Order: sequence, then C-alpha cells, then structure tokens
Amino acid sequence: MGKIWIILKSEFWRRVASRGFILTTVLGPLAMIAFFVVIGFIAAQTLTSDARTVAVIDETGVLLPRLLAEETNPHHLVAAEAPVDSVRTAVLEGAYDGYLVLPNDLLSGQGRATYYAVEGGGFSLENWLEDRIERALEEHRLREKNVDPEVLEILKTRVSLNNVKLTETGEEAGDSRFYSTLGVIMGMLIYIAMLIYGTVVMYGVIEEKATRVVEVIISSVRPFDLLMGKVLGIGAMGLVQMTVWAVLILGGVTFAGTIVALFLDPAALNLPEAASQQEILAAADITLPSLSVDVFVWFVLFFLLGYLLYAGLFAAVGAMVEQQQDTQGLVLPVMMPIILSIVFIQPVLESPHSPLAVILSLIPLTAPVPMVVRLAVTEVPLWEVLLSFALLVIGFIGAIWVSSRIYRVGILMYGKKARLKDLVRWMRYA
Amino acid sequence: MALSVDHVTKRYGDFVAVNQVTFEAQPGRILGLLGPNGAGKTSTIRMIAFITVPDEGEIRFNGRSVGPESQQQMGYLPEERGLYKKLKVEEQLRYLAELKGLNRAEASRRIRYWLERFDLLAWAGKKTQELSKGMQQKIQFIATILPEPRLIILDEPFSGLDPINAELLREIIQDLKEEGRTILFASHRMEQVEQLCDDICLISRGEILVKGPLRDVKRSFGRDTIILEFDGNDAFLDELQAQGLVRIGNRSHHRAELHLLDGTPARRILEAALHHADDVYRFQLVEPPLSEIFINVVTEQQGGLVATRAQHLLR
Repeated sequence: MGKIWIILKSEFWRRVASRGFILTTVLGPLAMIAFFVVIGFIAAQTLTSDARTVAVIDETGVLLPRLLAEETNPHHLVAAEAPVDSVRTAVLEGAYDGYLVLPNDLLSGQGRATYYAVEGGGFSLENWLEDRIERALEEHRLREKNVDPEVLEILKTRVSLNNVKLTETGEEAGDSRFYSTLGVIMGMLIYIAMLIYGTVVMYGVIEEKATRVVEVIISSVRPFDLLMGKVLGIGAMGLVQMTVWAVLILGGVTFAGTIVALFLDPAALNLPEAASQQEILAAADITLPSLSVDVFVWFVLFFLLGYLLYAGLFAAVGAMVEQQQDTQGLVLPVMMPIILSIVFIQPVLESPHSPLAVILSLIPLTAPVPMVVRLAVTEVPLWEVLLSFALLVIGFIGAIWVSSRIYRVGILMYGKKARLKDLVRWMRYA
Repeated sequence: MALSVDHVTKRYGDFVAVNQVTFEAQPGRILGLLGPNGAGKTSTIRMIAFITVPDEGEIRFNGRSVGPESQQQMGYLPEERGLYKKLKVEEQLRYLAELKGLNRAEASRRIRYWLERFDLLAWAGKKTQELSKGMQQKIQFIATILPEPRLIILDEPFSGLDPINAELLREIIQDLKEEGRTILFASHRMEQVEQLCDDICLISRGEILVKGPLRDVKRSFGRDTIILEFDGNDAFLDELQAQGLVRIGNRSHHRAELHLLDGTPARRILEAALHHADDVYRFQLVEPPLSEIFINVVTEQQGGLVATRAQHLLR
C-alpha cells in the first residue's frame, strides 16, 4: 500500500503541476462558455435578421384585415394597394422582402396564394405564412356559414405544453428537458472520464515502456502496485479537474439566478422591495430545477467505477504496444462499448425503461453512461441500480485482474506486436 | 549478503532462456556476467531482480528467496537505460529513491552529494530530457546506488561514457566493492571485465560454460598465448596460421597475439619470427586474454551444436 501511495502521489503531482493541466482546467470552462456565447450571439443575429416585411396584395378584400388583426411577430405584413407591377418593383428595389398575392378564388377554396421574393424565405417563413393564411381563411369561411361565435372561440384555442416530471414521491416542478440535459451532461462527463482519462493512463504506460524506465520501476515495486498507483493517481487528477469544473459550473448557475433576479423589478411582480431572490424568481414563475442528492451520489460512484474499469483496460492496451501509433487497432475494441453507450443516449433518454436501456445499464462495460442518464430523467428501481453497480464492481475486479496479468508481461515485451494468442499465453505465465 | 542462483531454469513457451544455471556472488567481490547477445544474461538478471520468477530452481539473497524484501536492498541498472523525460532531475532521483523505501529528507541529502560528485549539481532543477545522453547515464547510475543497496546489478554501466567519466565510475564501483557490497557486472567489453571483476561467469545459450575466480579461469586455460612485437614483413604469420599451428588474435602492423594450437611449442613460433622478421622486440608467453577465452568457449559450444545439427540433417 505504501508503494501504491508513493506512485499515486508522483503520478498525480507531475500531471497536476503541468502547465497543460492548469490551462485546460481553468480555461476549459471559459472556452466552453465563450463558445456558447458566440453560438448564442450568432443565433440571435440570425433571428433578428430573419424578420421579413411582406407586402400583401389582397384581391379577396376580406383576408388581409384578419391577417393584420393577429399578432404578426416576427414578420411584418403590410397592405399593398398599388398595382402588382409597382409592388414588384418595390420588392426588387428592396423596399419589401417579398409580396404575397391572395387571389379572389382563394375564398372558394380553389385558388392558391403565391409568395414572390428575391430570395426564398426558408421553411420557417413559408410555414408561418401558410399557417396565418390558413387560419384567416378558415375563420372567414366559418363565419360565412354563420357558425356560432362560441364554436369559433373553441377553434381558436391554442395549446402550449407544460412539462412536469413525475416521481414516486410526487411531482417535481421544472422542465423535464432540464433533466434530459442534465442526464446528457452527466453521461458525457462519465464518457470523458472513461475515454479521456483512460487514454491518459494508456499513454502513461506507453511512455514508461517506450523510455524503458519501467524496468527500473518494477525492480522496486510489484507491477500490480505500479498499475494501481498509476490508475489511482491519474484518477485523482481527473477528480480534481472535474471538481474544479463542477465548482465553476455550479458557481455559474448560482450566479445566473442572481443575475436574472437583478433584472426583475420586485414592484412589477407585486412584491415588497425587500423580497428575496427566491421569492422574486418564484413570482416570476422561473424555477431553477433541483437535483436530488442520491442521483448525485450514484453519479459519483458510477463515474469512479467506470473510470477504474476502463483505466485498467487501457493500461493493458498500453502494455501491449511500444509506441502510441501502434494502439489504433487494439484500442478500438476497448472504446467500442463506450462509444456504444454514447450512441444510445438518445433512445435511453426517450424511453428510459425500455429493454435496451435496462440491458445497457446492466452490462458493466456500457453501464455507467446509460445508468446516470436514466437516473437523471426517471425513477430507476433501486434493485436495478444496485445490481448494475454490483456488476460494475465485479467487472472492475475482473478487468483489473486480466489487465494486471497482461500488463505484467507486456511491459517487458519488445519487438513484436501482441496478438490475441499471445495475450492468452501471457495470462498463464506465473 | 551473498547471492546464490541455484539450478535456475526459465522458459518462454518452448524456448529455454536459462537452463539449470547455478552460481554465487560474494559480498566485497565483483562478479562478471559474460555472454554473447541472447545468451540469457538479461533473463537471469531479471529473475535476480525479482522482475520475473524462475520456472525451476531458486534464487536467494542473504539466505532468503528473492522477493519484494530483497528488491529494497538491490540497485539495478538495466542495459536499456530509461528515465522519465519530463521529470526534473532531482524529482526523478527522489521518486526512484522513495520507491526503494528511502525517506525524502535523506534522499535529498544524498542526491546533493552524488550530483556534486558527478559534477551535475547545476542540473538538479532541469528536466531530464534537457540533459545529454552521457549525463542521463550518470543520473541513472546515481539512481541505482542512491539507496545504498547491498546488491548492485550493473548491466553495461560504461556504455556511452567518455573516458573521464568511465574512470570516475570505475573508482566508485571499486569503492562500493570495498564497502562490502555484492556487485554483479554484466558486459561484453572483456577488457573492462578483466579490469574490474574478481569472479566471472560465462553464459551462452542459457547455460554456464565457464565460471570461477578470474585468475583460476585464466590459469586453467594455460599459458598458450604469445605476444609478439616485431619489425618487417608479417607474411610469415599467415603462413603459420595456414599450417594450423596458431590462430591469430589481435593483430596490427608490428604486433600480434598468437594462440598456440594443438600443443605447438612456443619456440617454433620464435624460430619463425627470428627467421622472417627484421627484428623482434618482444616475445612473451602469457595467459589468454578473456576475450580469447570467451570466443573459444562460445564457438566450441556453438560449433558443437552446428555439428550435431548437420549430422541430424545428413541422416
């Protein structure tokens, strides 16, 4: 144990003290935020520049008032009285983005509305126009038939969807989309831990082997101690990195609430000036969703075990080669289950109780990602979580046993690439 | 504090790397482990270092089987050198020392001492990859002896060192020997082995061909080597060789080492030399140099093997 601790410390410090680590840890989230800000900025730009002004030539004489009566965001409709030719010229000169012709026989349901523009409006404008015209036409024709105004009211009903997450203990306020996002984020974090930190372990093993320093090390410690010290040391590094990121993100989220509250005027919400942030947010109907503690605890456990399992496997791959370039073929089988568990995030999100989701979250090699996704979006039966975790622990022990045997022999093998047959032989060496 | 290797065999699949090898190394003496490439030296050393374990036989240090405990008392300098490139020299040495059970404070003190002795103190804070190859060699040697091991295994310790540093290293190895440490010295360089070793053990194809104190080994091969220094035409040497009387070892324009074959009397060579050469400065009958013994013994073994194989094919 003493030796493992010495190796752990050395592996940890030599990485954490490096400039690269400090940069990625501190600048990583900043870069991510900057990235999202840029994306958001561009999106906002496109949204505003998307607003179009459309001249309407209404030959029916009845539809335009109805069209104008409705809210017209984000596009503008303008009545055009002039003859078609001059409207066309106006569009070509850029006065309008386009013009819409509503022929008289549209009312009888035979004619077609036509939109003329220099550049296509895109699907959103097309849908928007269709939607408006359809509603105006529908209303007009219904009125022609003397339909009861009450019925018209009924037809006007527009539905907006409210999402509430159901749990056994009751309803959890908040958008279920939030939980999906959270699930995806937690899944991605585990994915990073398994893939990125696993790869770090692999390159560490390759470096020791390529520089031949490994022979000196294992004349002082058992290969198993070296393997464990390395895996745990790099794991500790990963944990520090994740914790820093988590603190930054949580800080950001807390800060976000404060900022939102700052922009809300208590008076406007009929609250006393001294109203607390929560009260303001509650009155404004803004809920910052909460995460239950057990989901977080399970996340940490699956995170750690998932990393340990794959770190062992990646170490074994590292021990089988001499240079980084040689890893490609060997690393694929190890990465496959990780990639698989990411590929299936979407189906798991959509039906977290499907057989696919349950099976994926029970197989140790794929379990960590789908399991935390399910935990985030739904209520997973406790026995399933426990079984999945127990299998993962067994998987980890098995993987470290196999890996340490491959590792022990592999780190001293030079000159030829290991094949499956060799691996079986290595594992039988005493 | 003696090391004993007792009927040790190591196989890799069907290949027998080490076959029933037995020898001992005593404290206060240097044992030279010799052998051609692929003879089983590294396999043997790795078992002594408890990096691998023998399939048969036992290796004991200080009366007890080698294991994690003996590893703590052993310093190993492998032939294939290697250090962590990105660690600073001081960190590197301290880490390797800590793995041998040394505490940080003591390690730091000794690091200072040895870096100073090897004139490397200015490099203590530099990354290892910034050092020249020769400097890295010295760093690794320091790493080997820093924990003051009782058993020291040095595989080609002089390779890559300039004469001044080689001399310094030789001095330090002599000091370590006088302090009563058990030293194992593996090398191809016969003149280094002759200079340093008290005992030798010659391995080839996984088997010991010759072993014992260096003096005894040399004596047992008899005084059958002539060192001849002369002036004039040296064609007569080729003639002697063609007649099967001698085999010529080291040879330069005015100097030759001649090995008497099949009991050729020494005076027969002297007569030839006096007859053909313009002048003779030196004629001395000596024990064979170690390199000669090495070549003889190994070719004899492998020649024997070739012969058996040839017979096998003819049948």
